[in-house]
Amino acid sequence: MEYNIGTYREVRGVSNNSNDISSSRIPALEVRDLRKSFGSVSVLEGISLSVREGEVLSVIGPSGSGKSTLARCVCRLEEIDGGKILLYGDRIDNARHANRDIARLVGMIFQQFNLFPHLSVLENITLSPVRILGIPPKEAEERAMALLQRVGLAEKKHARPNELSGGQRQRVAIARALATNPKIMLFDEPTSALDPELVGEVLDVIADLARSGMTMMIITHEMLFAKEVSDRVLFMDAGKILEQGPPEAIFTSPKVPRTQLFLQRMLAHVGKELVQSSSEEGRCTNDA
Amino acid sequence: MMLDFSAITPYLHMLLRGASITIQASFLSLLCGSILGILVGAVRVAPFAPLRALAATYIYIIRGTPLLIQLFLIYFGLPSLGLNLPAFTAGVIGLTINSSGYVGEIVRGGIEAVPKGQWEASKVLGLSYFHTMRFIILPQAIRNMLPAIGNEFVTLIKESSLLSTLAITELTMVGQQVRSVTYASFETFIIVGIIYLVMTSITSFALQYIEKKWTVA
Repeated sequence: MEYNIGTYREVRGVSNNSNDISSSRIPALEVRDLRKSFGSVSVLEGISLSVREGEVLSVIGPSGSGKSTLARCVCRLEEIDGGKILLYGDRIDNARHANRDIARLVGMIFQQFNLFPHLSVLENITLSPVRILGIPPKEAEERAMALLQRVGLAEKKHARPNELSGGQRQRVAIARALATNPKIMLFDEPTSALDPELVGEVLDVIADLARSGMTMMIITHEMLFAKEVSDRVLFMDAGKILEQGPPEAIFTSPKVPRTQLFLQRMLAHVGKELVQSSSEEGRCTNDA
Repeated sequence: MMLDFSAITPYLHMLLRGASITIQASFLSLLCGSILGILVGAVRVAPFAPLRALAATYIYIIRGTPLLIQLFLIYFGLPSLGLNLPAFTAGVIGLTINSSGYVGEIVRGGIEAVPKGQWEASKVLGLSYFHTMRFIILPQAIRNMLPAIGNEFVTLIKESSLLSTLAITELTMVGQQVRSVTYASFETFIIVGIIYLVMTSITSFALQYIEKKWTVA
C-alpha cells in the first residue's frame, strides 16, 4: 500500500473541524503549568498543553528550549518541580504509578535509540511484554514480528543492534516502544543522531504511525516533516510555549518574532528532499 | 652453584596435593567472593543512599587492611568470641570477604560504565529497578568487568599462599615442609613458583577465552 503524506493531512483535516465535540472528551495528554529546573537553571517555566486522542503534536524550538525535558517529564524520566501531568485524566506525576503502568500508556523514542546491545532485535521487543506485562512468550513474539513487519525489519529479528544501521536501530526502537501497546507515543528528536540519508526511512515509519491514528508528541528539528505530519505545531523557547497552531499557520505566517527568526534560520538550511525521500531507494540496508 | 631437583622428586606428590588444596580454597573463595562481590557492588550503586554508604564503607575497610590481618582476625580473633572455625573454613571465609571487596568495586565500575540511556529505556518500558539490573545492566556490566575480574582471580590464587600462616597445608605450606626436609630451598620454591604460574596461567587463559566469546556474541 502506498501512502503519501499529503492525502493523510487532508483526511485528518476533517477531524480537526470537529474540535467542539472532541474537546468535551478527556485529552490523551494534559500538562498544566509544568515547572522544572536543574539546580538553579529553570528549564520549563509553566508549560500548559493538551493533546487530543489521535492528535499529532510537533514541538519545535531552538536547542535548550526545554523541548526534550518536556517529553522526559511526561514519561517520568525527570521528576517535576511543579504543575501536573495527566494521561487520560489520571495524574502520573507522582510515585503512585509503577513504571509498568506508565509503560502501558506512554511509549518513548530516544535520540540515541537506547536499544539493548546484548539482546537480539526480537528480544529487545519482547522483553517488556514477556517479563513485565506477563504476556505469553509466543503471543509476544507474534506481536513483535507483526511490529517488525510494520517497520520493515522482519528479516533482522535475530540481528544484534550493533549489526544494524542507525535508521534500522531507530525503527527497531519504535517497534519496541509499540510492543507495550501505549496510548501515546513521544519522540525525542528521533532522527537527530542519524546520518542524513537514513532520516527518511525513520520519518516514513513515524508518518505511517501518525496515519494509523496514534496520539503522538514529536520533538523535532525536521521542519518540513513537522509541517507535513502534524495536526498542530508548538514553538517553545527558553522554557515557555511562545506560539502554537495548525502547521500552515505556524510555518507560513508565524506571529511571534522569535518564531519567525527561528523558522527563517531553520528553513534556510533544510532541503526539500528530506520529506520527499520516502521512496524505496531511501531505505538503506547497509550493515554499518 | 648447581640446581639439583632430584632431592625434590620424592616429595613432588606432596606438592601436588598442596596445590590441590590451593585450588580448592581459591575456587571456593573465588566463587563465594564473586557472588558476595556482585551483591556488594549492586548495593554500592543502590538507589538508597544509606545502603550505598554501607557498601562503600565495607569496600573501604576491606581494601584498606592487609589480607593477613583479616585472616588472623577470623582464625585467631573469632575464637575469643566463642567462634572456633577450622583453619580451612576460616581461610576460605577470609579470602571470600577480601575478594568480595575488590570484586564489589569492579562491579560498581562495570555497572556505572553502562550508558545511562539503558536505564532510561528500561524505565520507559516498565522495568523496575531490579528487573533493569537483572535483565539489562548486569549482563552488560559483567562484560565490562571481565578483564578486571580476571586480574582479581589471578591475584586471589597468589594470595591464597597466605593461608600457610593458618597452618593450612596448601602449596606454600607444603613447600616450606619440603624445604625443611630436603634443605633444597631454591629448587623447592622454584617448583612451587612454577605450579602457581601454571594455575594462574590456566585461569587467565580461561577468562580470556570467555571474554572473547562474550564480546563476539
